[in-house]
Amino acid sequence: MIERERYAPGPANVARVQKDRGQDGKEKWTLVLVKELRHSPEKVWQALTNPAQLREWAPFDADGNLGTVGAKVKLTTVGAPAPRVTETIVTRADPAKALEYKWGNFDMRWQLEAFGDGTRLTLWTNIGHRFISMGAAGWHICFDVLDRLLAGQPMGRIVGPDALKFGDWPRLSAEYAKQFGVEVPNWPPDATKR
Amino acid sequence: MKIKLSSVYVNDQEKALRFYTEVLGFAKKTDFSQGPYRWLTVTSPEEPNGTELQLALNNNSAAKTYQQAIFQQNQPAAMFLTDDIKGDYERIKARGAEFTMPPTDVTASTIAMVKDTCGNLIQLTQLARW
Repeated sequence: MIERERYAPGPANVARVQKDRGQDGKEKWTLVLVKELRHSPEKVWQALTNPAQLREWAPFDADGNLGTVGAKVKLTTVGAPAPRVTETIVTRADPAKALEYKWGNFDMRWQLEAFGDGTRLTLWTNIGHRFISMGAAGWHICFDVLDRLLAGQPMGRIVGPDALKFGDWPRLSAEYAKQFGVEVPNWPPDATKR
Repeated sequence: MKIKLSSVYVNDQEKALRFYTEVLGFAKKTDFSQGPYRWLTVTSPEEPNGTELQLALNNNSAAKTYQQAIFQQNQPAAMFLTDDIKGDYERIKARGAEFTMPPTDVTASTIAMVKDTCGNLIQLTQLARW
């Protein structure tokens, strides 16, 4: 696992915020993450839907395959201080193109586009203002881990407490917070003072 | 070992945060989320480093059943101590909270019971002084 020990997330350049007006007139924020992967959409699709592959990089465990519309799947948040299991029904599954389901209250909308020999992967997910920079940093790291997995060099998923252990975590979430114009989260407590 | 934290189950964490801070007057202490999980605590401004109260989502059937059963039996899910129960009662009532029991003398204390809007009764207690 020497690769994992050497891993450091790069600059905060994977996520942006899309701001829309909801029907109630309130501003609605969506976190948009884009990652260019040097692997085919078919291969990326497997990593997004197959529970054994999700286990290698995603922040949740799935108890079934997410690749079919109507599939009912339980998602367990990994590393949370108490068990958090949410059930979802897959609402869209166009293999190697598009995938939609919910993680708790979050909409999860994935798009896969052929991009040269690889795939441009986009995730749209609605996450509250307060936690959006942490969400961006978390997914940023997950996508790096996904990239290694697809390259045949899995380094094991880095989520929850493992993600916070990286010295770079406060830097990454603070960079995103600055870009999004939100307060830098004080998590882990006093991280910004270290 | 120390007792630094206690928990109540709530059926809506955002609503709970509003009630426990804006209505009861506590202050938010820790708030972080990991995916759909959210760790949320409040603490008394009189004791910022004192015991924290975790507002835990009742997201499993055992928690829901427990919460509803004790509510139906008029049992408080948590109890807070005050030195001025009459003043607190007026202040909290003025902010729109619904009391199921006004300050009432019982053995060794005066108690009142208020709904927390998230599925619980909360008891306020002022110990009698002799």
